[in-house]
Amino acid sequence: MATVVRLPELGESVVEGTVSRWLVKEGDRVERDQPLVEVTTDKVDAEIPSPIAGVVEALLAAEGEVVAVGAALARIADGAQAGTSLETGAKPAAAATSAPAARVEPAPQPDAGDGPRATPVARRVASQAQVDLRQIEPTGAGGKVTKRDVEAHLRGGREAAAPLPLERSAAGEVERRPAYLSYALQDGDRVIPMTPLRRLVAEHMVVSKRVSPHVGTVAEIDMAGVVRVRESHKREFEAANGFALSFLPFVVHATVRALREFPRLNASVLEDAIVEKRDIHVGIAVETEKGLVVPVVRHADRLSLAGLAQAIEDLAARARTKKLSPDELKGGSFTVSNPGRHGNLYGFAIINQPQVGILRMGELVKRPVVRSVGDEDAIVIRPIMHLALSYDHRAVDGAPANGFLHRVRELLEEAEFDL
Amino acid sequence: MQGARPKSRGGVQDGTPSRARERNAADAARHGVAVRELGLVSYADAMAHQLALLEARRQGQAGDVLLLLEHPPVVTLGRSAREENLRVPRESLRAQGVELFEVARGGDVTWHGPGQLVGYPILDLAARGAPDLHAYLRRLEALLCESLAALGVAACTRPGMTGVFVADPAAVRPRKIASIGVGVRGWVTWHGFALNVDCDLAGFDCIVPCGLAGVEMTSVARELGASAPADLGRRAREAVRAAFLTQFA
Repeated sequence: MATVVRLPELGESVVEGTVSRWLVKEGDRVERDQPLVEVTTDKVDAEIPSPIAGVVEALLAAEGEVVAVGAALARIADGAQAGTSLETGAKPAAAATSAPAARVEPAPQPDAGDGPRATPVARRVASQAQVDLRQIEPTGAGGKVTKRDVEAHLRGGREAAAPLPLERSAAGEVERRPAYLSYALQDGDRVIPMTPLRRLVAEHMVVSKRVSPHVGTVAEIDMAGVVRVRESHKREFEAANGFALSFLPFVVHATVRALREFPRLNASVLEDAIVEKRDIHVGIAVETEKGLVVPVVRHADRLSLAGLAQAIEDLAARARTKKLSPDELKGGSFTVSNPGRHGNLYGFAIINQPQVGILRMGELVKRPVVRSVGDEDAIVIRPIMHLALSYDHRAVDGAPANGFLHRVRELLEEAEFDL
Repeated sequence: MQGARPKSRGGVQDGTPSRARERNAADAARHGVAVRELGLVSYADAMAHQLALLEARRQGQAGDVLLLLEHPPVVTLGRSAREENLRVPRESLRAQGVELFEVARGGDVTWHGPGQLVGYPILDLAARGAPDLHAYLRRLEALLCESLAALGVAACTRPGMTGVFVADPAAVRPRKIASIGVGVRGWVTWHGFALNVDCDLAGFDCIVPCGLAGVEMTSVARELGASAPADLGRRAREAVRAAFLTQFA
């Protein structure tokens, strides 16, 4: 039996690594736990140990190759079979691409070849855009083509890439910071270093705004029906569950039912395709002391109103006590945000990538609205909530977005909830 | 912390003075992680010491520990190092008495020397739950920013450029004050960070630090200028110790 060694999870934020050095070669005998290969990600060099004792049958990734988490690195024959099944001639690249479930990025070519010198990032961008690196004028250190050069070439510019004060870093391109972003520290200022979570959130917000053209639309929702249902079940619910029934589960309940009818809002953009997801997993934005986290209610459309309320309460409570597992923060297909009651008529949330929509609840306020009573129009007082949808215009157009939001409104106003 | 400064300039094995040893024991008891100040240690000795601690940690025979030390002048090449970032031939480095090592840590080329506070955390990330290599880098950055704040230097990080920089938005060129390069074996970390306290910055002239052309290296002493206290080295060790324990204890 041969065991395939794959690039293990190196943490939630790590999706790939570069094979920096093989510590064994094909045919070597290895002990269990003996380091096989070094894989670099950012400024960490991780040694990947052998899961078993045996003989290295094949190395499936070349030094310098960028490999995704889960991709095959090596095949080890266990002690018993070692020596009998020793395969030779399995070319690393071919084997890696044929390994099931292994997503292997195009390997950067070694610089020694006859092609031009380029950074790995530049090579990847160029190969995705099907551009010949030899046609690109390099401006990088050592005459290398940089990502910026490739991008300048793609813009058709011969205005290509004036050398910047900052060149590239090992990790990627350095961005120039315009002077208007500057702030010179003044006496009395307090500098608060961002926590890792704060920085992740910040980066996510910037990336989301950059990759995804947000459009906002708002519905005014008459919550009289919901208020009535909630009032009539409030006591018994709290007695049975130990926490108060809020409006959030009602909104999530209506949202997941509307998502079933409008799958385009339960989607992701993947390169040049839109992926509509069968399963509905709803992220609930929770503000904690440490920052914003978005735990996910899995299969939210399979839960009753009470089930949703319990799931949300459980996740929010554990988010605040930092008892969530990383898995519980992953895999959402749509998000609902309920940022609080005051100073919040309505507002547009930033989409939680790679989703294409997010609903944000406004405050619930009694307002005079016009209703038809018999043949007459009348001004009546109703509990009104604004519900704001931000959607990604790459994937979603106005009609389905409005249709979805209208459906959420109908479901909330009909207020047919089974507790 | 009383005024007594641990004057440890001894070797790796017995370099910790008794006062510091007591404090380490107290740290370990209170925080489950010890801090050891080793003074000036050759790069090779420090590496051997780290590997011994790393293996002991992996086998559960030792706890988490932070080594704080300084190195005689040395240039090290991480696994992402490119030869062109060495500005002088290897032979002339040797002639200047600068040792050269290629090491199993992330990152490009860097310089270490007296006056630079080097920290090697030997931590079992898995034992701390939800291990994440990038998150670990961010935590090292955070502890360095915090240490620098305590020393009176406003520091920041820059996305895509792991390490710590002086927060001076008016500056034309970013000034780097601390570098990071980490190795892990089975979730136990080694190598770590280097904070320029009052080192001779000319040491960096022989390399393109971290492969970042256009970045200037600076030190706490240089940033503070005339206001730098006489016992800056001790204060830096205390600041890093405290920030490390806040972050990892």
